Amino acid sequence: MCDPRHTGGRVCLWFPDSGESMQHQITHGPSFSMLRVDLNPGETLVAEAGSMVARSESLQMAVKLNAGGSSGFLSKVGSLLIAIVRKFIGGESLIVNHFSGPSAGSIWIAPAMSGSILHRRLQGEKLVLSSGAYVASVGNVDVNMKFGGLSSILAKEGAFMLEVGGQGDLWFNSYGGIETVDLNGGTYIVDNGHLVGYEGNLQMTMTTAGKGLMSFAASGEGVVCKFSGSGRIYIQSRNVESLIGYVTRLLV
Amino acid sequence: MNINVLYRPGMAMAKVELQHGEAIRAEAGAMIGMSTSLNMQTGMTGGLGGGLKRMFGGESFFQNTYTAHNGPGEVLLAHSLPGDIEVMEIPQSGLFIQSTSYIASHPAVNVATEVGGFKNWFGGEGLFVLRATASGPGQSVVFGAFGGIQMLPCDGSLLIDNGHLVAWDTTLTHSLVKSGSGFISSFLSGEGLAFRFQGRGRIWIQTRNPKEFGQSIASRLPPV
Repeated sequence: MCDPRHTGGRVCLWFPDSGESMQHQITHGPSFSMLRVDLNPGETLVAEAGSMVARSESLQMAVKLNAGGSSGFLSKVGSLLIAIVRKFIGGESLIVNHFSGPSAGSIWIAPAMSGSILHRRLQGEKLVLSSGAYVASVGNVDVNMKFGGLSSILAKEGAFMLEVGGQGDLWFNSYGGIETVDLNGGTYIVDNGHLVGYEGNLQMTMTTAGKGLMSFAASGEGVVCKFSGSGRIYIQSRNVESLIGYVTRLLV
Repeated sequence: MNINVLYRPGMAMAKVELQHGEAIRAEAGAMIGMSTSLNMQTGMTGGLGGGLKRMFGGESFFQNTYTAHNGPGEVLLAHSLPGDIEVMEIPQSGLFIQSTSYIASHPAVNVATEVGGFKNWFGGEGLFVLRATASGPGQSVVFGAFGGIQMLPCDGSLLIDNGHLVAWDTTLTHSLVKSGSGFISSFLSGEGLAFRFQGRGRIWIQTRNPKEFGQSIASRLPPV
């Protein structure tokens, strides 16, 4: 987990994955990762809409709005509004599916874009993910939308991020492979189209990569995220905006 | 004949090594490279009717047969989508393969286009499905997918999301069902329809759904 290329003034941080994680397996990485989770009776897997590949028939699917649990009519309307905002701005799906069953069963999940899936066992920590990176979770995991600040509106990817916390298992995905960078008091710059998420005691600001207008316009880099502090940054090896640009040129 | 699959699971390619006298039949356009000692012959397997059926089924109208007339040689084959390739010896009971997944097979393998029925069509998998039957042991078929290929054993019943099906044993029966418990939940869930497989056999699925992938990109493309 600790890549020696990223040391050099920075100490490798180790996030212990203690506690009983869910029975799961991630296969076909790094390009086409698929997640298999084995659920015991009473356990519920929350997953993005449309992400199911296959499941045992013993598991039932319940469709819920992506806004956190609460009861009552007004809160349901509030939930619907939050879910709509999340869908159109947050990039997360409006609907999530809850899979559970009276008997044990397996479920296979895959996101729409090609890339990797990473597992993270949360024990009270908070993780910030880019919109669209959430795949599934089990346990008491809250997913809230976080506004990145005015400067982040410049960044198409980063206006809204997801703040994930709680107790349980979390799976998130990337477009491309996932690379982790550990910081211990240093600074690091990540192109904002390549940011999957980050955790720990990190401050993130949006800025331009080089200095001056020429570098902003010509470098092809645009807006970048500058991190400082101590924590872990997750980077993806491909950029959806670049794919869109490539395909757009072929269509004309 | 020796078939090796390289560069799995993202950008797989099948390397077929033919001994003198051996041959392999492949979809048009599947060849990446080949030894000059091999002879390529293009034909409509099954005649005009066979060609038309294949075209409707999602395969190519013509097929190429690569034969090692003058000594051993190799041919490299791949499908057009990024993903995995699986080489399978066809079991005695035969194999059903999604027509868009088929790449190549031993020339003695009978690949028939069958009407998959409306359940296949409503399921978004297309009106036709291929049934591959071998005329003897040791005959292989090569198929590819969008994404990785995972074999799931079915013992009883299994629910597979439509869009992820690649191939399955003919010993299994399948029907199209709603993924959720009601119509609205099936629609809202994003899962829609699913295939319920029953019986004992193997199912090969692909780990990415080409339609969903295309939609997630298409929704962000500028209007053309």
